[in-house]
Amino acid sequence: MGRLVAILGQRLVQAVTVAFVVSLLCFALAQLLPGDQALQIAQRRYGDDRVTTAAAEAVRAELGLERPLALQLIDWMGRTVSGDLGRSLVSGAPVWEEIRDQLGATLALAGAALGLALLLGPVFGALAGLRPGGLADRAGMAAAAAFRAVPNFVVGLLLMVGCTVLFGWLPVGDSRGWLSLLLPALTLGLGLAATSARIARDGVVAALRSPFFAFARMKGLSRAEAILRHVPRNAAVPLIAYLAVSFAFLIEGVVVVEEIFAWPGIGHALTHAIEGRDVPMIQGTALMLSLLLVLLNALTDLALLLVDPRRRA
Amino acid sequence: MRRAASLAENGTWWAPWIGGSLVGIVVLAALLGPLVVGADPNRQDLAHVLMGPSREALLGTDQLGRSVLARLVYAARLSLSLGAMAVAAAAIPGIALGLAAAFAGGWTDRLVSSLADAILAVPGLILVLLIAALAPGAFWPLFLGLSLIQWVEWFRMTRAASRSALASPAVEAARLLGFGPWHILYRHVLPDLLPLFGILGAFGLGSAVLSLSALGFIGFGLRPPTPEWGSMMVEMLPYWNEAPLALLMPPLCLLTLILGLQILARR
Amino acid sequence: MTLTIENLRIAAAGAVLVRDVSLTLEPYRTVTILGETGSGKTLVAEAAMGTVAPELAVSGRIADGGEISDAADQGARRGAWGRRIAMLPQEPWVSLDPTMRSLAQVAEGHRFVRGLGPGPARRQARADLASLNLAAGDDRYPHQLSGGMAQRVAFASARAGGAPITLADEPTKGLDATMRDAVVALLRKAVEEGGSLLCITHDIAVAKALGGEIIVMLKGEIVERGDADTVLVAPSHPYTRRLVAAAPENWPTATATATASVPGDVVLEGTELAVSRNGRRLFSDLDLAVRAGEWIGVTGPSGCGKTTLGNVLLGLMPPASGRVRRRAGVASTRFQKLYQDPVATFSRHVSLRTALAETTARHRVSFDDVMTLLERLRVPVALLDRRPDQVSGGELQRVSLARVLVAKPIFLFADEPTSRLDPITQQETMDVMREVTRERGCGTLLVTHDRTMAERITERRITLGSDLA
Repeated sequence: MGRLVAILGQRLVQAVTVAFVVSLLCFALAQLLPGDQALQIAQRRYGDDRVTTAAAEAVRAELGLERPLALQLIDWMGRTVSGDLGRSLVSGAPVWEEIRDQLGATLALAGAALGLALLLGPVFGALAGLRPGGLADRAGMAAAAAFRAVPNFVVGLLLMVGCTVLFGWLPVGDSRGWLSLLLPALTLGLGLAATSARIARDGVVAALRSPFFAFARMKGLSRAEAILRHVPRNAAVPLIAYLAVSFAFLIEGVVVVEEIFAWPGIGHALTHAIEGRDVPMIQGTALMLSLLLVLLNALTDLALLLVDPRRRA
Repeated sequence: MRRAASLAENGTWWAPWIGGSLVGIVVLAALLGPLVVGADPNRQDLAHVLMGPSREALLGTDQLGRSVLARLVYAARLSLSLGAMAVAAAAIPGIALGLAAAFAGGWTDRLVSSLADAILAVPGLILVLLIAALAPGAFWPLFLGLSLIQWVEWFRMTRAASRSALASPAVEAARLLGFGPWHILYRHVLPDLLPLFGILGAFGLGSAVLSLSALGFIGFGLRPPTPEWGSMMVEMLPYWNEAPLALLMPPLCLLTLILGLQILARR
Repeated sequence: MTLTIENLRIAAAGAVLVRDVSLTLEPYRTVTILGETGSGKTLVAEAAMGTVAPELAVSGRIADGGEISDAADQGARRGAWGRRIAMLPQEPWVSLDPTMRSLAQVAEGHRFVRGLGPGPARRQARADLASLNLAAGDDRYPHQLSGGMAQRVAFASARAGGAPITLADEPTKGLDATMRDAVVALLRKAVEEGGSLLCITHDIAVAKALGGEIIVMLKGEIVERGDADTVLVAPSHPYTRRLVAAAPENWPTATATATASVPGDVVLEGTELAVSRNGRRLFSDLDLAVRAGEWIGVTGPSGCGKTTLGNVLLGLMPPASGRVRRRAGVASTRFQKLYQDPVATFSRHVSLRTALAETTARHRVSFDDVMTLLERLRVPVALLDRRPDQVSGGELQRVSLARVLVAKPIFLFADEPTSRLDPITQQETMDVMREVTRERGCGTLLVTHDRTMAERITERRITLGSDLA
């Protein structure tokens, strides 16, 4: 129980740190981007041809853009940490409203990719690990090494071309329901599957060579009994611990894959916002993605706590 | 059986040679390619677009009639030099701060460690994107962003390995025998760190090159017409039917380099 | 059920590792194989279980309960695991599954080997643990068990399958005297309940406590065998005689051997020392003065703060309270330490010669002095060009002694310096250490878990850990 509180507390600190770093960078972005902020906001609000100096001044006064930088920064961060993400410069709608639907799309993509990876990776990894040095092990691990070397955008590119050639259909957007989810999820999940296959394989090999496995055999358990009772849990511990690390790659992958497949998620929104120099949207989307990483990390913490009694002490 | 198992685990004697040659091919292409190929990677020839291999352009031409081979080797030069610079810019402060934190402990350690945690809390590519947004298409924000996310790894690994070396009985015995920090650094700490640096260097170069190409692919890389593998892929994507070779070559180059570096880093 | 091994022979490519070993183990009997590292004693146990490395050639016959098998057919021995022979693990704390509760680890023997249902298996396991005074350990995970508790859980789960023969390979390795006695009691219990025991050990005290038949092995051959009362009291083979003499209880006592050198001035003094670990007070109000040339023993159970006391005296860590005073005007490098595992105290990356040369250079001592010392310590000069992990434990400990002596210590903290060595090497190493330190007037604090040894070679002793009970 004490451990649980400590771990969640740690993740909460991480969440606040994330909000701090992202909002600091976005504030710097707002200051350093070329052009007058107030004028740009006024242009977006009233249209390019109808904007006047007076309108820009009104915006400046409204948003407090004439105050000293330090004050603006404190104000900016205070709003971010309290959850007020502001309004999009492009659409004028609150950032949170814009992000809400995209969050669902991103969660679906990340969830599908993770599911796919956890379905494929550990199974192949465990099969390889049960006979270390055997044919399945060597072939499987060579394949895993190759898949880890292929960047996700190359996988995406190949899948895209392949899909176009085979079905005459360009897999972009979410027009075809779960079918259009499959390719981006596969793109995102393959690398993770390859890595988790490797970790699962090593975990199984380590468990099979452990003194406690040898002891279970000496007690008289058959190999199958000993494997079923002593390998899965012990091999799961390093796998889950590694997943925590690879979630950072998953989130990075979300940005790239959503852009490639025009998947209407937060990653796509982030790249769009950068192109449009829409700082509140940049901040909102970057923050959401980073917080998603914190959430995933917290979930792996809990899973580890569940699987490994040593961590409960 | 036993031997096979131990080989599978420790890698084989020839693995580093394969990794080395894969990386070597790309490095050689980057160093000598521009001299041998001779063609200007940015010279457009709209009369000869999307051509197959010819004497002038051994791997054909792209949608603007530029030599694909010339663009590939210049892109290799760009990726490797940006990657190497980012790794160097990350390694030097990372190692120095890691050693300082391990040797000094206390507040120095806590301060630098929490700075590293703060940077690590945000996914690396997002951090680079935010910094790159400052000056789209420019070289320095990419370089800055990549070094910024990489020094953390150098710092953390150096700190962890140094701390465990410093906690060893060998260092305690050396201190009792009157040896100073410099002797301990070079006799007990650095020998443990050097193999680690090799792995981190190969891994860091790989991820820097990969990030650069990923950014190029999604349109946040260097300003066109700079030849870069990621942006070359995306430019050629619409012409996959007419010029498949021009589309496949950039990912192939990237794959060769990444696979080689991965084998060298034993990941 | 009787275990019989006939004409066992195990050979590697170029060498015979075990030659012509035969033994019979009957119910209510104990057979102990005694020998040093490399004597082949562990290979005999592995042959009985069928776990000899596949690259070794095994021949001979093994039988238990009427089932006779060719020793070369190692797979045939698997049927005996848990059912006819129970193998006790060497290090129980790593042999238990870290993710499984104690009760389940014992119950799985009843369930999968004896074929009981899940419910009866758990009830039986609970009864097993209760009979070992472990009822409280039922639902604990291995990391929550003390070393002694883990030992008992492993004992119960190894025997849950109902095997009448118990096999123990170095069951007391690395244990302090209290734990060693507890393990011996467990093993005796197995025999008293109608089983039989084959025990492999290098510890003469264990062999003596177990009784029964003793088999002494040297370089793969049996050099002497017979009843424990005969072999350990009146050994006939020269090697057995040396082995028995090397048991600490047979060492001449310190007072008898102490040379004329009277302990000199105080070199180091601790007053009202107290030490805590994880908020628990290990000892307090300890006063201790070390004089030049004397040996002081520190004994007590594992975790009582023996090593911590030495580290506090050396200034490697602060005491919880109290203070340490060194003799005034003496360089700090004249307070030195010897470690249990000498390999870890040298850099892995350079030869011993380099390590020694750097030390002599630091202390402005001629390298020839070290060479003279090494000769005296009977360390072959050729060893100096090797790395620390390429030298045997006894030799490396003597090289570390030589390195430490370069600093001309007036105080030496020797932390279990011989506990990983075989008995004969241990005695030789201890003898030479004592001789050299006495002669140089170096006060020595010897930490050891072996009370008997401390009584034999130190003039004064401190026992820690009485507060803990």
